[in-house]
Amino acid sequence: MTGYLAFLKKEVIEYIRTYKLFIMLIVFAVFGITNPLMAKLMPEILESLATDGVIITFPEPTAYDAWTQFFKNATQIGLVVIVILFSGILSSELSKGTLINLLTKGLSRTAVILSKFTCMVMAWTVSIALCFGLTYGYTMYLFPEDQTSNLLFSVLCLWLFGLFLLAALLFSASLTKSNYGCLLITGVVVLVCMLMNIIPALHKYNPISLSTDNIGLIVNSIDVTSLYSVILISCLLSLIFVSLSVLIFRKKQL
Amino acid sequence: MGILEIKQLYKSFGCHEVLNGLDMDVPEHSIFGFVGQNGAGKTTTMKIILGLLKPDSGSVTVCGEKVTYGETKTNRNIGFLPDVPEFYGYMNPMEYLKLCGEITGLTKYKIELKCEELLELVGLKYEKKKKIGGFSRGMKQRLGIAQALLNEPKLLICDEPTSALDPVGRKEILDILSAAKGKTTILFSTHILSDVERVCDRIAVLHGGKIALSGTLSEMKDRYRHNGFVLEFENEKEACFFENAEELKKPEISLSRNKNVVTVLMTGRDMDGHFLLCILSQKRITPLKFTVMEPTLESLFMEVVR
Repeated sequence: MTGYLAFLKKEVIEYIRTYKLFIMLIVFAVFGITNPLMAKLMPEILESLATDGVIITFPEPTAYDAWTQFFKNATQIGLVVIVILFSGILSSELSKGTLINLLTKGLSRTAVILSKFTCMVMAWTVSIALCFGLTYGYTMYLFPEDQTSNLLFSVLCLWLFGLFLLAALLFSASLTKSNYGCLLITGVVVLVCMLMNIIPALHKYNPISLSTDNIGLIVNSIDVTSLYSVILISCLLSLIFVSLSVLIFRKKQL
Repeated sequence: MGILEIKQLYKSFGCHEVLNGLDMDVPEHSIFGFVGQNGAGKTTTMKIILGLLKPDSGSVTVCGEKVTYGETKTNRNIGFLPDVPEFYGYMNPMEYLKLCGEITGLTKYKIELKCEELLELVGLKYEKKKKIGGFSRGMKQRLGIAQALLNEPKLLICDEPTSALDPVGRKEILDILSAAKGKTTILFSTHILSDVERVCDRIAVLHGGKIALSGTLSEMKDRYRHNGFVLEFENEKEACFFENAEELKKPEISLSRNKNVVTVLMTGRDMDGHFLLCILSQKRITPLKFTVMEPTLESLFMEVVR
């Protein structure tokens, strides 16, 4: 436990001093601000581009458009940035040999994996919270009349998908020695999820639903209860991924 | 009982056999030189001792406790200095040592105390607030020693600590190691023989995956002492006169002369220095110098490795 806390502290210092956290916060803050803004301005931009004689009419932008932007950006670009930033989570320490010192000091390998996972999840939580807060505030300001439903639940689903992705990333990192291998395996996991999504029957159990059903939840076209099974499965899979990472890393020859 | 005991250790990577039945016993409070060529398996052995690599078979015991691969319980008695120690460049030495101290489970007060003491010992007192990222190799090596000594280990393992350093840096590291001798046992791998002669009291030569030679330095030199003598004469004439003596024309004696210095190597059992002294007194020659040849560690090493 002391090893876990000490290493967690080191991870936090690393995120701050190597600008990892800074990059994440900047990216998500930019999304947070631009999401509602783009929703508001997009029709005007497009209209100004229209040439004489052609009249393009757009429906009035609503809060839904802002949230559509939010879920699209956070899942498509935000998560990709996170996966790339964290792809070297184990490989950089192993190839440089910085971990060897600490392991020979009696730090347990389990503590290494668990504290790394904790820190990644913490960074992801802070980032998504910041992005959500900014989008929420701005949307309230720009579209004060619009009402959304299940907003928090929908964001929670997205957060859980991020957690699942990070668990998969950690598992990939423990399997390979390079950060490219790590990226590749994480990519394969996501790809498998996407391919499985083709079969409608599996949609209820596929973790990727957590990142595709968000808008449906907000406009009430998807029922909250329909996601309960996938939430359970994602939690379970994340747990399995993290446990496997611990088991694999404990047997790894360094 | 030794502080580190290795019995019948085997390890191969693929079909490449690195360790082939290694036996080693390191007694307490010694500086144990672990010598071998590049790729002889020194680092592999050390990693197995630290539980970082899994041996194919054989056992390693540290302070009477068996080392299990993947677990690091025995490491609380060990301090390790890797050949090129790497640290987190964004930390300063003080922060790094504190991190190590917390991991080993030292109390806060003890950590403060030890950090100051060790940074003083390794001469990084004035750099303790500087980022490690800007450190030279020698400075990193010194910080490596500080972190290795932090938990007051019973066994300090140093993997070629001097290989990458300039002469000044090497001397400093060796001095620090000598200073640590009273408090801990040091296992010190290297291929720089002069370093071994400078600080080690026991050595083991690793060759072909086994210990080819081991013992105290003087023991080994005794065992491998040849019946060799070097005689220096006043001038070349006397040297030639001695060299051509009838008594020395035997198959078990080999002579070589370089100006006024004659080297005599004898393999016969009943031949020794007295035999030469007799000849000298018969011929009424007084040499300027009469020395018994000391085997150097280098000649021993070469002989073993050949």
